[in-house]
Amino acid sequence: MTPTKCQDQVVLDLWHPLAALAEVPAGFVQETVLLEERVSYATDGGGNAAVWLSRPDLVAGCPFEPGALTRALPAKVAYGYIWTSLGTPPTELFFIPEYAEPDRRRLNAATVGVNVSAPRAIENFLDMGHFPYVHTDILGAEPHTEVKEYDVELSVERDEIVATRCRFFQPKASTASTEGADVEYIYRVPHPYCSILYKSSPVDETRLDVIAVFLQPMDQEHIRAHMMLCVLDDENEDKVIKRFQQTIFGQDKPILENQFPKRLPLDPRAETPIRADKSAIAYRRWLSQKGVTYGVIPAAT
Amino acid sequence: MLDTAKTRWHPIAASYDLPFRHVFHAQLLGREFAVWRADDGYVNIWENRCLHRGVRLSIGINDGRELKCQYHGWRYSNRTAGCTYIPAHPADAPARTITNRTFAGVERYGLVWSAEEPHGRVPDVAGLREGEQLALRGIPLNAPADAVVSALTGYRFQPNGRLQGNTANVSLEGSDTFSVALRAYEEGAETLVVFFVQPVDSSRSVIRGVLDAGPQGAERLAILRHHNERLSKLREIAEREAQAAPQPAPLEPVIERVSPELAEMPEMTAHGRKATIRVTVARKWLAADGIAAFELRPVQGLLPTFQPGAHIDVHMPNGLVRQYSITNGPGESDSYVIGVKLERDSMGGSLCMHETVREGDLLAISEPRNNFPLRRDAVRTIFVAGGIGVTPLLAMAQALKNQNLDYEFHYFAQNQEQLAFPEKTALLGEALKPHLGFLPETTAAKLKEILSGYRPDMHVYLCGPGPMLEAARRIAADLGWPETAVHFEYFKNTNTIDDSSSFEVALARSCVTLQVTAGKTILETMREAGIDMPSSCEQGACGTCLATVIEGEPDHQDVYLNDAERKSGTKIMTCVSRARSARLVLDL
Amino acid sequence: MITLYDYELSGNCYKLRLLMSMLGIEYNTVPVDFYPGREHKSDWFLRLNPLGQLPVIEDDGLVLRDAQAILVYLASKYDPSGTWYPRSDPALLGEISQWLAFADGITGTASAARLHDGLFYDLDVESARAGAHRLFRILDEHLWFGEQERRDWICSGQHPTVADIACFPYVMLSEEGGVSRQDYPAIRRWCDRVKRIKGFTVMSGIFPAGPARAA
Repeated sequence: MTPTKCQDQVVLDLWHPLAALAEVPAGFVQETVLLEERVSYATDGGGNAAVWLSRPDLVAGCPFEPGALTRALPAKVAYGYIWTSLGTPPTELFFIPEYAEPDRRRLNAATVGVNVSAPRAIENFLDMGHFPYVHTDILGAEPHTEVKEYDVELSVERDEIVATRCRFFQPKASTASTEGADVEYIYRVPHPYCSILYKSSPVDETRLDVIAVFLQPMDQEHIRAHMMLCVLDDENEDKVIKRFQQTIFGQDKPILENQFPKRLPLDPRAETPIRADKSAIAYRRWLSQKGVTYGVIPAAT
Repeated sequence: MLDTAKTRWHPIAASYDLPFRHVFHAQLLGREFAVWRADDGYVNIWENRCLHRGVRLSIGINDGRELKCQYHGWRYSNRTAGCTYIPAHPADAPARTITNRTFAGVERYGLVWSAEEPHGRVPDVAGLREGEQLALRGIPLNAPADAVVSALTGYRFQPNGRLQGNTANVSLEGSDTFSVALRAYEEGAETLVVFFVQPVDSSRSVIRGVLDAGPQGAERLAILRHHNERLSKLREIAEREAQAAPQPAPLEPVIERVSPELAEMPEMTAHGRKATIRVTVARKWLAADGIAAFELRPVQGLLPTFQPGAHIDVHMPNGLVRQYSITNGPGESDSYVIGVKLERDSMGGSLCMHETVREGDLLAISEPRNNFPLRRDAVRTIFVAGGIGVTPLLAMAQALKNQNLDYEFHYFAQNQEQLAFPEKTALLGEALKPHLGFLPETTAAKLKEILSGYRPDMHVYLCGPGPMLEAARRIAADLGWPETAVHFEYFKNTNTIDDSSSFEVALARSCVTLQVTAGKTILETMREAGIDMPSSCEQGACGTCLATVIEGEPDHQDVYLNDAERKSGTKIMTCVSRARSARLVLDL
Repeated sequence: MITLYDYELSGNCYKLRLLMSMLGIEYNTVPVDFYPGREHKSDWFLRLNPLGQLPVIEDDGLVLRDAQAILVYLASKYDPSGTWYPRSDPALLGEISQWLAFADGITGTASAARLHDGLFYDLDVESARAGAHRLFRILDEHLWFGEQERRDWICSGQHPTVADIACFPYVMLSEEGGVSRQDYPAIRRWCDRVKRIKGFTVMSGIFPAGPARAA
């Protein structure tokens, strides 16, 4: 095999998302970019996918014949997306048990290209302090700007970061009320480039909506962000649910694209953390400990 | 090769690029700047990067006094670039060392000049007279500065007054690495143009031209268009040539690391009772009957960033040290204004300020400290000032006003003549509610009225004479205000201090055990043992020498902590409070 | 009431939301799943607009497509001040039409680059970016000389017009297509001025301006 442009073995060995299964026309070759490599994929309409390093004889748009494929990359369909790896991935992807609950709506809100590194985008996903300023009147509103104390831990057995007891004031906290109130969040980072948040459901206060971002690093400073929704809602059309999530993500975009440097600095002295950034601090440390170098500026040793 | 010397002044903008409440996006030798003019005219040139998460400040908000980051609403002060407020933690005063990187800036010849480490002053340019020049439209171009300079030496133009045609004689008056001066003559008309080429990056530049004269009216516009047209042509050629040549790699400016303290998020530290800043009394005036106001300007450099509620120690000519609140509104960072009431029973502090200190005198002051921080996440904020207690609250009210937050300002005084700083209180408009001539009983009734109607997310800030604060705190508690919503600052501690106890103090982090004897404070004992500890009023009022108690029972004698904080037994003011237990373990 | 067929991230739809907000017009929204659903190519939408493009409005039985055309219609019908589209001033109407066409040019370049980077449209992004820069240079120069003549807006006169609304969104969103506005300071100042027009509203990707007057 020819050497990959990405030299980070940790990242090479990860599963990476490529596309939402529901949006791929079955039986035709599709093309995308992963870790600076051109990668092709196709599905058979039965929920199976094949992925390979792009080749001149199987270009995008060609009808796909599985027999033509000799050297395939690992492929997996999970949480509505096609995943692959350029290295040796683990057998299992991280677990989102709620995905199997039958009464949930499961959607790809959108796959959007962003000119930023994957870790910067994950850190933004974990951040609550920006709600009143970036998601004004939706996820937050001045003067309710406080990030209250919350807990962060690195789960050793699952090798993931978990932030719990997160609360933030949200105007119109539920569909039933026009008043603002604290909304609860739980954040998980089970993968250097993927994160999942759980949020009080506006329709059922005993359960949590699940929103995830799965980031496909095209290169160190460009990503495709796949936004998965797994929510309780039997009222709204798909497109209304998607619209909300796209609005939110569209608001984050100019922030992400104006961060400098684009790669996430892991040197603790590169930026100024505050208590509200506990989860980001844990995330940066975790990336350092794992030895991730792709999409970050490693701390000088 | 591009000369990347950091010591050389370059223009980075034109003065017209900095209109009211705008943030200009500049770049020099690869480094980006956010450039903004405050309402007081000061030109701020900052690294284009919020220290928190690296977001460009050029997409932030210039509110005339402060620059607000678009991402998390962090606010940075005019002049100092010090962070004054972090909305995610409304109850905390940000460590004042959170300061953005600033760069030198000078406005000259209609341009704004800067450099990373400038040597000397912006050089005089022969033939240009400040105030008479005309700055041309800046022409950004994708070509390296040296190529642009060499193209400009062949620039042809017509002198002012003879714009038609193409027959003027043009002589090269001089040129160097980044500038070219040319003079055009035709039939008695003559015009000098000086071009400064701003090296934006290795292969990007801006041509900033300045003419030696700029007539007004229609001719001015014709001149600007004349040069714009010719420079645009020159740009076309220069860009075509640059595109054909090999592209140099972009410059990579070094971003300074933040201090280790900031990376670790420690408690704010300030050491001892030091007066590190020298100021001049630029102005002294009567702010009200019996209240002298002082405007203190730095002898050198800039004053440190202050937050609303902050105070400074003033070291007086007679050796005394007193604390005074800074009354300035946000962004008013060129001086500190304090108010000093002449105390009838003055121990010499206020008397000295009133009678000895004059305009032009030098004083030593401490850095500002904020032990009375203002939350800005309240749905409504009530200020209750009594007499000279107005000073910290004035600064706070101006900050809320600047952010369009809801507040009311109650100001108790004996009579109209005793209302201090009328020019500042007038700005508060309708929110200002003076209450004149109240007696203690009627004050209580008025306070009940003011403090009725508590709702969650309201906060009250009290500052005034001790008895009034006691009454207000009691009334607030009766009316359902939680202690966490009632913030207060005493002028002084009128408690009689009982320093007869003796006990042991163990400092957990320093691994030291000290014996505090009768007549000595914890603070003095620590100092004698060589342990540095910040302090200010040293009478239990200001909150500077606060320490965390790990073990043991404190004997509180201060007026800084509220009842809940006292009961919890986890905090102690080391300047006056002592121990009831035989041993106290402090987190120091 | 007016019905707007709308996609949140569309700058062309935003032009109409912006003008209607500034004019204080109430309207209903029908969301169209432009991406990823491609609902603007669905049968029901093609019946409204055979070009398969957003936005479309319905008003009193009138179905109208094309952002610039709708701006002209809304301003003509609903602006009592008559300043957004001054029907009695032929010279100004000519200027406005000229810049409405220019706005289409911005859509064809800056917006195309944004669709490439954000939504993976297959097009020549380098040429789209170069085209956007060419237009931005012209607009910056025009606005800079406008400032010299004490003119705040794209067209002559004391008031903003639909030309400002038509040009604003894809200028403001250009960075999402890798087109920096750093070299266009007069455009950046004009953007601040547009954001300070009474009734201004934001869309995802565009932040409001700060207070224009001292608090």
